[in-house]
Amino acid sequence: MHNHKAKLTSLLIVSALCTSQQTFAEDSVFVGHLADMSGPTAFVGKNYADGVRDSLAYINENGGINGTKLEYETIDYAYKVPQAIAAYKKWHSRKNMVAMQGWGTADTEALISFVAKDKLPVFSASYSGHLTDPMGKNPHTKKPAPYNFFYGASYSDACRGLVQWAAEDWQKKGGKGKPKFTHIGANHPFPNAPKEACAEYATELGFDVQPAVVISMKPGDFKAQCLSLKSSGSNYGYIGNLGGSVLSLVKSCNTVGTDIQFMSNIWGGDKKIFQAAGEGIKDYVFPAMTPFWTDQVPGMKLVREISKQSDPSGQEERVHHYIRGVCSTFFMKEAMEWAKDNGGITGENIKKAMYARKDWVPAGLEGVCLAGNWSEQDHRGTNQVYIYKGNYNEGNVVVEELSLVTIERRDAWLGF
Amino acid sequence: MSSLTMRPCGDFRTSYKQDNTIFETTTIKNVAIFAIALLCAAPYLVDAYYLTLFIQISYLGIAALGLNILVGYTGQISLGHGAFFGFGAFASAWLNISFGIPVLLCIPLAGFLTMAVGMMFGLPASRIKGLYLAIATLAAQFILEDFFARADWFSGGSAGSSADPISIFGFVFNSDESFFYIALAALVIMYIWGCNLMRSRDGRAFVAVRDHYLSAEIMGIKLNKYRLLSFGISSFYAGIGGALYAHYLGYVSAEGFTLFMSIQFLAMIIIGGLGSIKGTLMGVVFMVFLPEVLESGVGLMKMTDWGNIPMVVDGLAYIKEMAIGLVIILFLIFEPQGMAHRWAQIKNYWKFYPFSY
Repeated sequence: MHNHKAKLTSLLIVSALCTSQQTFAEDSVFVGHLADMSGPTAFVGKNYADGVRDSLAYINENGGINGTKLEYETIDYAYKVPQAIAAYKKWHSRKNMVAMQGWGTADTEALISFVAKDKLPVFSASYSGHLTDPMGKNPHTKKPAPYNFFYGASYSDACRGLVQWAAEDWQKKGGKGKPKFTHIGANHPFPNAPKEACAEYATELGFDVQPAVVISMKPGDFKAQCLSLKSSGSNYGYIGNLGGSVLSLVKSCNTVGTDIQFMSNIWGGDKKIFQAAGEGIKDYVFPAMTPFWTDQVPGMKLVREISKQSDPSGQEERVHHYIRGVCSTFFMKEAMEWAKDNGGITGENIKKAMYARKDWVPAGLEGVCLAGNWSEQDHRGTNQVYIYKGNYNEGNVVVEELSLVTIERRDAWLGF
Repeated sequence: MSSLTMRPCGDFRTSYKQDNTIFETTTIKNVAIFAIALLCAAPYLVDAYYLTLFIQISYLGIAALGLNILVGYTGQISLGHGAFFGFGAFASAWLNISFGIPVLLCIPLAGFLTMAVGMMFGLPASRIKGLYLAIATLAAQFILEDFFARADWFSGGSAGSSADPISIFGFVFNSDESFFYIALAALVIMYIWGCNLMRSRDGRAFVAVRDHYLSAEIMGIKLNKYRLLSFGISSFYAGIGGALYAHYLGYVSAEGFTLFMSIQFLAMIIIGGLGSIKGTLMGVVFMVFLPEVLESGVGLMKMTDWGNIPMVVDGLAYIKEMAIGLVIILFLIFEPQGMAHRWAQIKNYWKFYPFSY
C-alpha cells in the first residue's frame, strides 16, 4: 500500500514537472538543430554543427531575439533519415518549433514536404540547386521547396563560378585551343547534383567537356581513373566527392603525374583536408562562401567571439564550414528579429522576413557573410563565390584567395 | 499462427484446423482485435512524434516481414533488401507521375514491379546457396543504387522524385493523423497475409526448402520455383513498404537506400526472430525505438547543468551510436533466437507457474 502511494506521488511530481516545463516556455521560441556528428558526413558535419550551435548559444547569451529567449536542441541524427524525421516530428508537435537548422541532403530532402505543409523554414547546408526554386518554375524542379533556405551558392552555382574562373585562368595562362573539362565523382546524388548544369555552362564558355570520370565515394586506389584523366589530357577537373575520397584521388593522381587543375566542391577543401592529404595538394582550387579564419575582415571578430562558446581558449582554428554555419544561424536570427517586429515569431513570418531586405548582411558579420538577396520567386540567396587556392607547402598549409566570382542570375538556372 | 518451433508437451492438436489457426488461442485473437481497435484511437491520444514512429514501424515492418519470409522461412539470403525497398518507393512515385494512376493503386502496382525486379535478382538462387547467394544479391544492391542515380526518367536522378500523398475521393492523407490509418491498415493486411501464407501449401514448401532442400525435392517440391517465389514475395513486401515510405514523405531521394539499410533489415529480423512473424514486428519495434530511447537519454542529460556542455553531449552522441551496436551483439549472444523466443519463454513461465519445468 505504501509503495503504491509512493508511486502515485512520483507520478504526480513527474506530471507536474512536465506541465511546468511547458509553462516556462512563455517568452521563448524553439529552434531545432539537426546535425551529423557521428555519421558518414561527420568530418565536415561536426564543423558546421559547431558553428550553428555556438552561434545559437552566443545569441542566447547576448539578448536572444530582441529579448526573446532562444530554446534549442541539437540532435545528432547520424545521417539517418528515420531519425531525422522523428526528431522533426518531436520538435514540431511538442516544442512548437518556429525554425530549424538542418544539415545535409538526406534530412533536408526528406523533410521538404513536411516543412512546406507545417510552414516552418529550414536553413540547411544542403546546397542542391533544386532547393532554390520555391515556386517550382523551372521544369527541372521535381518538388518546389518553398520553406527551404540555405546560405551560400548552390552546388551548381559554385561549380559555374569555378568554371568561370577556369575560363579566365586558361586565358591568363595563354592556353591554346579548347581547354578540356572533366567531372570527377561518384555516381551518387551529391556529386551528380551540379554535373549537368556545370557541363552545360562549361560548354557555353568554350570548354571541351569530357565524359565524367567515376570514382567511389569511399577512399581507394584511383590510379586507373587518374590514368584516364591523364590520357584524355583534361585541363580542369571538378571534384564532386568529399573527404577521404578526395584525398585518395589527389594522392593517386600525384603518383600517376597528371597535369590537371583540380577544382573541388565546397565540402572538398579545407585546411584539415590539405593537412591530411600532404604532398599532392598543389594549387588546389576550391570555392568558399566565407573568408578564412585568418583573413583580416571586420566581421571575423564576432566569429572569434562565437567560437569561444565551445573553445574558451580561442586557440582553435575553425574551418570555413564552421563560419558558414555561423552565417546561416545569423541570417535566421535577423529574420526572427524582423518577424518579431512584424507580427510575431512564426514560421510564416520568418519566411517573409527572408524577403524583406536586399543586400542583406547580418550585423557584426560584415565581410564574413556574403550579401543575401532572397525573394519569393528565387531562393538563390547569394550569387557570389570566393575562389581559393590551397597549397601544402611542405606542411605549412597556405590558403589564398584568388577571386570573388559573381554568377549571373539567369532564369533558366533557377532551381537547376 | 501455426508455430514452427518446438511445442511444449501437453499441447496437443487433434485436427488440421487446430493446427492451422492464425491466432493460437481465442484470447490472443481477442487481444489482437482489441489492440488494433485501441490503435485506431491513437491519433486522438498521442502526438505526432509517436504517430511518426508508428508509421515508421509500419513501413519498415512490412519490408522486414518480406525479408523474414525469404531468410527466416525459406532459408535464402538477401543483402539487397534496402535497394528493393527503394525501388518500390521510386516505382510508386513514377507510376503516379508518369501515368497518372491513383496513388492507392500505385502502391500495390509498385509492389508487383518490385516483385519482378526481385525475382530477376533472385534467379541465381536456383543455382547457388549461402555466402555465394549473399554476394549475388549484394550485386542487386549496387546495381539498383546505381540505377537510381542514373535513371532520370525513373527516379529523377540526383534531383530525386516527388510523390503525391494518398487521396481517396478527394480526402488527402497528408498529415500524420490521417496517414496513420493507411499505415495501420497496410500493416494489418500485410501481416495477416504473411500469417496466412505461412499456413498454406506454399508456406509449408518454403519451410521444407529451408529445413532440408534435398528431402523437399524428393517430396516433389520444385526447389527453383519456391526459391524464386520466395524472392518475389519478399521483394513484393519490400516494394509495398517502400511505396508507403515514398507517399508518406512526399519526396524520394536516391540517397537513403544503401547497403546499410539492407543490413538494418537483417538486423531487425535477427533480433526479432528468424522464421517468426510476430518476431519480425518485435524486432522492428525494437530497432525503431532504440535510437529514440537513447536519444531521449541524451536529452535528459542535456537538461542537467553539468550535462549540457558540448563535450558531454558530443560524447554521448558517440556512445549512442556504439550502444546500438552493443545491444545487437548482446542480443546475438544471449538471445540468438530473437525476441519471439524470449517472449514465448516468458509466456510459458507464467502459464505453468509455479510448476514450470
